[in-house]
Amino acid sequence: MFFLLIYERPYSHGSPRTELQAMYQYTPFDTQFVKQRAAQFRDQLQRNLAGTLGDDEFRALRLQNGWYIQRHAPMARIAVPYGELSATQLRMLARIAREFDRGYAHFTTRQNCQYNWIPLPKAADVMDLLASVSMHGIQTSGNCIRNITSDCFAGVAADEVIDPRPYCEILRQWSTLNPEFAFLPRKFKIAVSGAKEDRAAIAWHDIGLQLLKNEAGEIGFKVLVGGGMGRTPVIGTVISEFLPWQQILVYLEAIVRVYNRYGRRDNMYKARIKILVKAEGQRFLDDVAAEFKKILELDSDGTEQIIPQAEFDRVAAHFVTPAGVAPVPGNTSANSRIDIPADAPAAYQRWLERNVHPHQLAGYRSVTLSLKRTGQAPGDATDTQMELAAELAERFSQAELRVSHDQNLVLPWVRESDLFALWQAARAASFATPNIGLLTDMIACPGGDFCALANARSIPIAEAITERFDDIDELYDIGDIDLHISGCINSCGHHHSGHIGILGVDKDGSEWYQVTLGGLDGSAISGHQSTPGKVIGPSFAADEVPDVIEAVLDTYRAQRSTAAERFIDTVNRIGLDPFKTAANAQRRSTAKA
Amino acid sequence: MKFIDNARDPWRTITGEDGPMVTLTPAPNSLLTLAQWHSVRSTWPAGMAVGVQFPNDADIEDLAEDLPRLALVVLNFPKWVDGRAYSQARLLRSRYRYAGEVRATGEVLVDMMPLLQRTGFDAVALRADQSIEVAERALNFFPGHYQADVTEHRPLFKRPAGQETTNREFNQAGSAI
Repeated sequence: MFFLLIYERPYSHGSPRTELQAMYQYTPFDTQFVKQRAAQFRDQLQRNLAGTLGDDEFRALRLQNGWYIQRHAPMARIAVPYGELSATQLRMLARIAREFDRGYAHFTTRQNCQYNWIPLPKAADVMDLLASVSMHGIQTSGNCIRNITSDCFAGVAADEVIDPRPYCEILRQWSTLNPEFAFLPRKFKIAVSGAKEDRAAIAWHDIGLQLLKNEAGEIGFKVLVGGGMGRTPVIGTVISEFLPWQQILVYLEAIVRVYNRYGRRDNMYKARIKILVKAEGQRFLDDVAAEFKKILELDSDGTEQIIPQAEFDRVAAHFVTPAGVAPVPGNTSANSRIDIPADAPAAYQRWLERNVHPHQLAGYRSVTLSLKRTGQAPGDATDTQMELAAELAERFSQAELRVSHDQNLVLPWVRESDLFALWQAARAASFATPNIGLLTDMIACPGGDFCALANARSIPIAEAITERFDDIDELYDIGDIDLHISGCINSCGHHHSGHIGILGVDKDGSEWYQVTLGGLDGSAISGHQSTPGKVIGPSFAADEVPDVIEAVLDTYRAQRSTAAERFIDTVNRIGLDPFKTAANAQRRSTAKA
Repeated sequence: MKFIDNARDPWRTITGEDGPMVTLTPAPNSLLTLAQWHSVRSTWPAGMAVGVQFPNDADIEDLAEDLPRLALVVLNFPKWVDGRAYSQARLLRSRYRYAGEVRATGEVLVDMMPLLQRTGFDAVALRADQSIEVAERALNFFPGHYQADVTEHRPLFKRPAGQETTNREFNQAGSAI
């Protein structure tokens, strides 16, 4: 089947390229913009290589294009705006991995894609290639507004209230090279959710946006501000219960301007907006309210930033249901059943249970391609695997994929009748581990193997736990659980929000691991709550960690009230003490507490 | 964008051996510290050109009433990655409709040029080692931007189709693709 989508565009800034996907298509303006950004970066890189732009000054410039200097080589972080990726783009990521890196890439909790081995002199060539498929590294690092993240099931989730993608795209454009906010006190992360379940951990962001409808049926945002991880984990404060969507750019400008002016710049550990919000309390909220009012009443461009319906419609027209997708007659999304062949293997049924998710459209499902399997770091994919995933997307999902906050790939448009064929193909490509939401579907940062900031390695810990719990029956018995591993307090592995969190720390030049329990990320199995976990005792040695995790899980299995009680619910019911005792009994290298 | 050549700049700070002088005699093109301005503003002769060096951690609102009397406001970048003066400049232009010169001083680097221009600066005193030629090139990479700014009051979505870019040639347009 072949089809083309032609969009009607009330406000036309050039027609988008006709493509197979129903995702945002660059206009000629967008395309020229990223190409010129690549040209600007090439100019800066050339001046740096020629010695006229010092390393220190180049640093802040390259960071805002996603280029870090890491342990082995620069790390390049490529933006996948709100996690939406076309098969064509994924093929380009695979090609870059093969031609410029060592044949693999890493998908992150912020829905980005990272490379670890690209030599800096090649950086501009990589940016040009990315620009050719509407991709870039703009603001994936640095003290600026970072890539906007969202629900990996946006536009397809069965529990969705409002599709967040058009709003995300409007925010992407607003935040991109916003001149006033290019050098904030510290990084600034925005996440948007439009479903009943929060799959974007919005309360953990500098700004969290929850789309909702008020009693009159109007659409707006609940706005949270000042959430964040790092040294001081803080849950965002609600600053607006309902902000009409048309005013969101004005409101964000007010928040970020107050932060730019008054956020601390004397101490980078106290520079995030969460510290300002905590220190100022009500005064911060009042300042934002006053600034918002002044922008609208006084500024020459204040009301110009109110989003017209026509602009929303123009952007939203990109996110329609793909032309090849239609509800399957006779099914309803609520009760549709998947036909399971009589001779289907148990592994297929497990995959249906764990990796296949409810969909808005009758007869469709979204499917997670697990990037958590023995022998590969969580979130990693080789060039070949990326090409295989692109192929699966083309065959089964309208050539569209998502990157999930949990570091997996998602196929959003899979027909139920294709599930068995997809499972077979995904299994052949090593994507069908039926572990989504289970212990081995852990979040982990690249850690000390790659990251210059890390105090300790994450990957060997993740690997040891994956090997220890390689029995799928045991994983199923343990059930739903969030295990999050960070190699340092910067918390890229979100250890604060894990039901079990593991944090790498450095003591006397060696690697130690602090274990926390009871963190919540805001998702349904976290009871729609967000909170940082609590430390269960002094740090453990690396070789003790798998034993500690096993002891904690054995305690859960011994103490759970019924087989259905989840780990996190047992922790909340019986408290930390039984877990502490079990964990401390595992100390060999470290002194028993 | 005007590039300030210190030798030819008509503006003069009033500085003695121990720093900015507290007592001063009004003279045209005096560039005063905020404290100096506060000490003389009630007596400063109408029509005599005066400028103020405004610190980047002070509230620009406090200058609002004085703006009609000021020919120059100098904003400071103590470090080039300290972005507070961008907000100050933007408020001067967008909120207070200040029409005099807004000048960037301190650690002003060529790569800041697009940000400076878009937030309302119309003059820069580049750090001594910076090249004016590179600074001018830095202003010529983008065909337009998404947001409203001081030079373009409409966000991209409010501009009529076809007017989102100017007719300028852009550096390495199309790059190497």
